[in-house]
Amino acid sequence: MGRGQDWGRGCAVRRAVPAGPLWSCRAVLGEGHQRTVRRVAWSPCGNYLASASFDATTCIWKKQEDGFECITTLEGHENEVKSVAWAPSGTLLATCSRDKSVWVWEVDEEEEYECVSVLNSHTQDVKHVVWHPNQELLASASYDDTVKLYREEEDDWVCCATLEGHQSTVWSVAFDCSGERLASCSDDRTVRVWQRYRPGNQHGVACSGAEPTWKCVCNLSGYHTRTIYDVAWCHLTGALATACGDDAIRVFEEGTGGTEQEPSFSLAAHHLCVWRALVTLHCSASVLSTSVEAEPSLRKRPRVSFSRHMSLMARAVFPVSFLE
Amino acid sequence: MAVTSVSPDMFEEIVMAEERFHGEGYQEGYAEGSHVGVVEGRRYGSLYGAKVGSEIGCYLGFALTWQCLLQKCTDEKNSKKIRALDSLIRMIQKFPYEDPTYDKLQEDLGKIRGKFKQVCSMLNVQSDFRISTESSSLTF
Repeated sequence: MGRGQDWGRGCAVRRAVPAGPLWSCRAVLGEGHQRTVRRVAWSPCGNYLASASFDATTCIWKKQEDGFECITTLEGHENEVKSVAWAPSGTLLATCSRDKSVWVWEVDEEEEYECVSVLNSHTQDVKHVVWHPNQELLASASYDDTVKLYREEEDDWVCCATLEGHQSTVWSVAFDCSGERLASCSDDRTVRVWQRYRPGNQHGVACSGAEPTWKCVCNLSGYHTRTIYDVAWCHLTGALATACGDDAIRVFEEGTGGTEQEPSFSLAAHHLCVWRALVTLHCSASVLSTSVEAEPSLRKRPRVSFSRHMSLMARAVFPVSFLE
Repeated sequence: MAVTSVSPDMFEEIVMAEERFHGEGYQEGYAEGSHVGVVEGRRYGSLYGAKVGSEIGCYLGFALTWQCLLQKCTDEKNSKKIRALDSLIRMIQKFPYEDPTYDKLQEDLGKIRGKFKQVCSMLNVQSDFRISTESSSLTF
């Protein structure tokens, strides 16, 4: 099991391996980047690590017996790369940057990376990119208040949907396990849940041509008092977790009162922990038999992610994770 | 009381003078401003048009040259590059130069720029044509 961690100002990618209840640092990859490493992502097979940096490059590291080797540096962005994500197929990679563009890269069996598309759809800084769990569909979140979706069409990638509704920067997006829903969180202190409607659906939602429409079916407002920086959707339980600038993590569950078209999410657990600089806090809350562990963050902005069952690969768990 | 429409109220002109001057001044200013705006707009339009023209022209020349250079290469790896170059050339040739009111102008320009960046990445060429850190880069 591997785990990536972002140390903010330090340009290092650390890999820790659990040894009993303790984690030990196995490698320090300090020579790859000249500026802040903003995000790391494991490939689906677990043999490669991608690191996105403010130095406008993305490094691809390959796991060796004694550590990691940088096999490629993806260049092209004009300035800070904000996020990198692997598609579930393992052959596609997406990066996004402050230069307002989203790049899609393809890798072949010979570990050769090639840019297959440069998408200039956003009008401002792109904060985050995320792949659909089982289709080659890409979502991006931007400072221009929108979420955009992209797919491949005849040898090229196109923007197939724009989700408007947020009043300010969208910081992050997350798909649910089915991929029919998307959650987005924003500087406007709300979380929106979007549902996909295919053409000819029985709910009377209009679609243009053969393109599905994404409609906002739920707007969680009034729960957060500051910017929401990250949202994670648990693929096992369907719970939504949010990371907020008001120092709290909130978990939402879908209630039985709503319908598919108008789901109702309610707060299952809030104020799970309070962040205080450089102090380790542990707390547990029973949320569907999971427990939450908190760690101090060297950065002001907390992140959340869900880890899968122990027998599966763990995702990046900086700095909060749900342990099943 | 009978209204005499023949002689205007002699006080009307004096009392309403300020308002009348405001109105006339506004009309004159508006007319002059519109005229100056049209002149400035025309100048700005021709400058911007020239900028876009030189940018697209640069991409076209670049693409045609590389298409020529890679003409003889028929292996799999280069076929992707050739396909991307063909796509860029097609996009540029389809671009409506004669119509500044084309509603998808900025969108198509964005697509052309994106395709150019992708082609540069595939050919391992810097998109700003910077050869070394000291030399200048090409910007539009």
